[in-house]
Amino acid sequence: MSDPLTLAVIILALPLTAAVLAWLCAGNAKLKHYAHLPLVLACGTAAVLSALLLNQMLGAPEKTSYVSEPITWFAAGKLKATFTITVDALSAIMLGMITFIATFIALFSSGYMHGDKGYPRFFAVMGLFVFSMLGLVLANNFFLLILFWEGVGLCSYLLVGYYYEKPSAAAAARKAFLVTRIGDTGLILGTLLIWQLGGWHTNLNDVFAHIAKNPPDTAALTTACLLLFCGAVGKSAQFPLYVWLPDAMEGPTPVSALIHAATMVTAGVYLLARCAPLFVLCPDAQIAVSWIGGITALLAAFIALAQTDLKRVLAYSTVSQLGFMFLALGTGGAISPAFAVTAAMFHLFTHAFFKALLFLASGSVMHAMGGVIDVRQFGGLRKLLPVTHVTFLCGAAALAGLPLLSGFWSKDLILEALVEAGESKRPYSAGYFLLFVVACTAALMTAFYTCRAYLLTFWGPERIPHEAGHHAHESPKVMTVPLMVLAVGAVCAGAALQPFTHWFGDFLGTAPSLAQADRVQGARAVEHHLNWTMMGVSTALALFGVALAVGVYRNGGAEKAPTGLEPVFAASRSKLLVDELYYAVFVKPAEVLAFLARVFDGALDGVTRVVSSVPRFVAEAVRPIQNGLVQFYALSMALGLAVFLSFVVFKIAR
Amino acid sequence: MTLYALTQTQEAGGQIALAAALGVAGFFLLLPRPSGRFVPGGIAALLGAAVVFGSFLYRRFGDPMPNVIESVLFWMFSAGALLFGCVLVANKNPARGAIAFAFVILSTCGLFLLCAAPMLMAATIIIYAGAIIVTFLFVLMLSQTDGPSDENDRSRDPLYGGFAGFAFAGLVLFALYQTSQAADANQTRANENRLDTRFPAPVLNGDDRKALAAGLTELDAAAAQLDEAKTNADRAKVVLRFLAAQSHFTTVVGQSKEGKDNAGTIRVRLEKAPANGPAPAVLFRPDQQSKEALARAARVRAAGFTESELETALQKDKPDASAVKAKAQKLRDEVALLYGTGDLPAANVRALGLSLYSEHLLAVELAGTLLLVAVVGAVAVAQRKGVAK
Amino acid sequence: MTLSLWHFLAVGAAVFGIGLVGFLTRRNLITMFLCAELMLQGVAINFVAFARYHGNLQGQVFVMFILPVAACEAGVALALFLNLYRRRRSLDSSDWQDLRELGVPAATDTEPLPKPAMEPDPVLTPAGARPTPAAEEVARV
Repeated sequence: MSDPLTLAVIILALPLTAAVLAWLCAGNAKLKHYAHLPLVLACGTAAVLSALLLNQMLGAPEKTSYVSEPITWFAAGKLKATFTITVDALSAIMLGMITFIATFIALFSSGYMHGDKGYPRFFAVMGLFVFSMLGLVLANNFFLLILFWEGVGLCSYLLVGYYYEKPSAAAAARKAFLVTRIGDTGLILGTLLIWQLGGWHTNLNDVFAHIAKNPPDTAALTTACLLLFCGAVGKSAQFPLYVWLPDAMEGPTPVSALIHAATMVTAGVYLLARCAPLFVLCPDAQIAVSWIGGITALLAAFIALAQTDLKRVLAYSTVSQLGFMFLALGTGGAISPAFAVTAAMFHLFTHAFFKALLFLASGSVMHAMGGVIDVRQFGGLRKLLPVTHVTFLCGAAALAGLPLLSGFWSKDLILEALVEAGESKRPYSAGYFLLFVVACTAALMTAFYTCRAYLLTFWGPERIPHEAGHHAHESPKVMTVPLMVLAVGAVCAGAALQPFTHWFGDFLGTAPSLAQADRVQGARAVEHHLNWTMMGVSTALALFGVALAVGVYRNGGAEKAPTGLEPVFAASRSKLLVDELYYAVFVKPAEVLAFLARVFDGALDGVTRVVSSVPRFVAEAVRPIQNGLVQFYALSMALGLAVFLSFVVFKIAR
Repeated sequence: MTLYALTQTQEAGGQIALAAALGVAGFFLLLPRPSGRFVPGGIAALLGAAVVFGSFLYRRFGDPMPNVIESVLFWMFSAGALLFGCVLVANKNPARGAIAFAFVILSTCGLFLLCAAPMLMAATIIIYAGAIIVTFLFVLMLSQTDGPSDENDRSRDPLYGGFAGFAFAGLVLFALYQTSQAADANQTRANENRLDTRFPAPVLNGDDRKALAAGLTELDAAAAQLDEAKTNADRAKVVLRFLAAQSHFTTVVGQSKEGKDNAGTIRVRLEKAPANGPAPAVLFRPDQQSKEALARAARVRAAGFTESELETALQKDKPDASAVKAKAQKLRDEVALLYGTGDLPAANVRALGLSLYSEHLLAVELAGTLLLVAVVGAVAVAQRKGVAK
Repeated sequence: MTLSLWHFLAVGAAVFGIGLVGFLTRRNLITMFLCAELMLQGVAINFVAFARYHGNLQGQVFVMFILPVAACEAGVALALFLNLYRRRRSLDSSDWQDLRELGVPAATDTEPLPKPAMEPDPVLTPAGARPTPAAEEVARV
């Protein structure tokens, strides 16, 4: 029980058990309404166990990684597919974060989804989702990782398409699945390449050790890293594959919270953090990661500026924040990889809190508004939904990066990493400066759109859509309590863990893979310290953004734009027509191709039908000979025998 | 003056075709039908078919039997079988058909006798005529219908059925004819090799059989005497008797002793040269019968007594009478089988029994089991379960 | 030749052929069965002739096994015939043609059966009426 690996296995098993139990509940009309219990209990227990596990990892710094005994799945030639799990600082933090967030999301869902007819199905798939993500985090080799990676993809498909009767939900689920699949292809190719480069090892640590010892051709390694990054781009919704994430809001809001905060999109960031020892060896790949992150951060923030759908704003914000994380990850190598990964993971960590909070709060709004989520249709809800209002404010402030809140600290860390990378002597340092500017712009936009969404929802004259009816009210306790807990996390988590104590960074640094990555040559060492200049810049950006938003949206009015910026806002509202572009460039030709294939298929079918109808016609002709008369059958036999005999007599005997 | 010239094969084929066609026509006219049948025409056609068939047999295959009496019997029994077979098929009344079948059985039993199968004759008469046909008659009594009925007054496709049956039989006949021609050709070739097969020596002649029978009697007597022999002197007499029996067999099957090689009458008669060396013997009669007889003879030779063997067995302080008796029994069986080979003698029942219970024991057991199962099954099927409509 | 295999084989074939014709054409189950036995007899003649030809007993042994098999056949088949007869009151094999392909019409007999020759029913004169005497009776009176 006290062994970290045993704990990890139990943590892994709990959500799976919960999923099975929830599925079993589906068969019983009474049990159906208690399908949430297994998941809530399992996630809660898993969270407590994760805390225990973290505590143990802290208490045993000398042994920084635990690897389980391998279970051989199959062995063929050089390929030996084994299942092993590993517990180190990186996975322990992820475990704690995922289980903690998932607990409250599950709790919230039990209220939010109450009375839905697919109630047990929802919780079964949620359990499977959490299980897949935990497995992904714990996996110690590429096979297991891909297995769980696909599991995450499958569960997201099931959950986004939860309301499968709705065509838009089904389309969104399909889109999420297909778009991430493009990335997955890259991941699988990258894995195969890494497998070859890494001396045919499959375990991550062995691969890293082998590559560190025998450095392969840089071009090959860069290709492999970029392919791995491809998978991360798909899963973590980076440019150009981010289009599925905003559409994924067709699923229930808790699912969005889970996808955006804890499970799905963090997988890509985690993959890159885990593979940091590979990425730091190829600066080309790293700058590509950073640039993709930067472009995504800016683009998504820009699109989020003028969206009217509250959840869509949050979705683009997630894309943007993930871009920040990749920005940070890309600096590894130029600066100390441990610092880069710490920045990214810390942002991931704080982001999980406030993004889960924001989504759950918007879910609460949606719950009260009868399913309406368009900010043009409601406003001034601060009186009506006091708890939701306050908790949303906490989350929004953290996202905007207001000083002393968790988002502020983690974003600072990323900006600092970019500046340090720009000052390093490694290649592309100028690029990192440019990226710093990009990041600052994105941060400004973030503050603006976050504040805009908040103001439009909770301030201005009170307006309630008629779908909500007369009983628009605050959500029940089971939904508000998770909000409050997460709000506390969003406000305090950042300050408590990193900026003053450096606890997060120090602990993460004990992960063996990061320690190994840190041995890269030429990286600029960065001290964890309070960078007052950076804090000043960041505060100024946040406050400017907020002030701008307050100035424009003080009295509501979603269609309004800051004077002089109307064309920009129109571009933002239309999402820069990226979806339309994709449709024209990829979907339309594919449709044409599919149509041609269908025509061809129809032709083939026709041929086979003609061929297959021949036996039927023959059968039709000879059917009457089965007339039920025994003597007729005997006659046929005798005649047949006579024919055979005549053949023998007249042909063979000659 | 020849109106037409036909090869032998064409002529034989024509005869067969004619017989078959007449048969079809006869049955077509004779088979029952509601609109009535033309009996005299049918009978005439069938008789014609029988005549053509008989002439085919006589002209193609020659005389059936070595002597006149057997020939006459063959023609009689064959004609009986065919005639009553036709009666069975053409008769409306199934009870009369059953009686006709009994006559068919009697005729075939006659043919069995001609083929030296008395045991089969008896068994067939007992089982068929005595058991099966009686059962049929009982069932007929149980299920008799009055007046005209579908089953007795109608036939199913008389033309096609007759055609199928006679086409089949005709093809078999033609195949037989071809085979006999080929066999004759072989015979001719054998004659050219100066192997006289036209009048082949019998594999076992009367003298051989007499000697074997005498030996068997002697052997039985010796075995009986062995039981009573108490003293060594008595046993010495028994040994002498055994050896006397053995000498009878030896004259027939031969004996290989150093110095004086005795081939035995069978080998002398059947083999071109006594097989002294390792070279395989050339047979005067290269057929199955002679090979079989030689093999049997070899087995008798192997099972035979030798003097020293008998003396050591019986002149010891502890005479081993039972071993000698077992050996005598075995020898006896082998001799009986040898006696049954060759041109099957009428008295082959003993050999048949031996063959059944030694070489085919498992099959006999299986047949018995089959009978038992059939009895149980028949009882189960015939149980009255419902009330007739 | 001392033995004539061919004659026996030919007679066996002929017996077999006649049995086959009967089996194919007759509709009475029992007659059909007797015809099957006839075919068996043809085969038995073949076996016995071969036994004699080869001078061994294998053929006779075969016939020995044909006998019990035929007996079994007879026992079971007759039991079945009795059952069938109980159901339809008829031994017509064409009564049992239910296992035919769907949509194939049943084979029916169109030709009417001949009327059994029956004596005419006796006719009585009505009571009280004076019977018309036949001609010869008048003459007698």
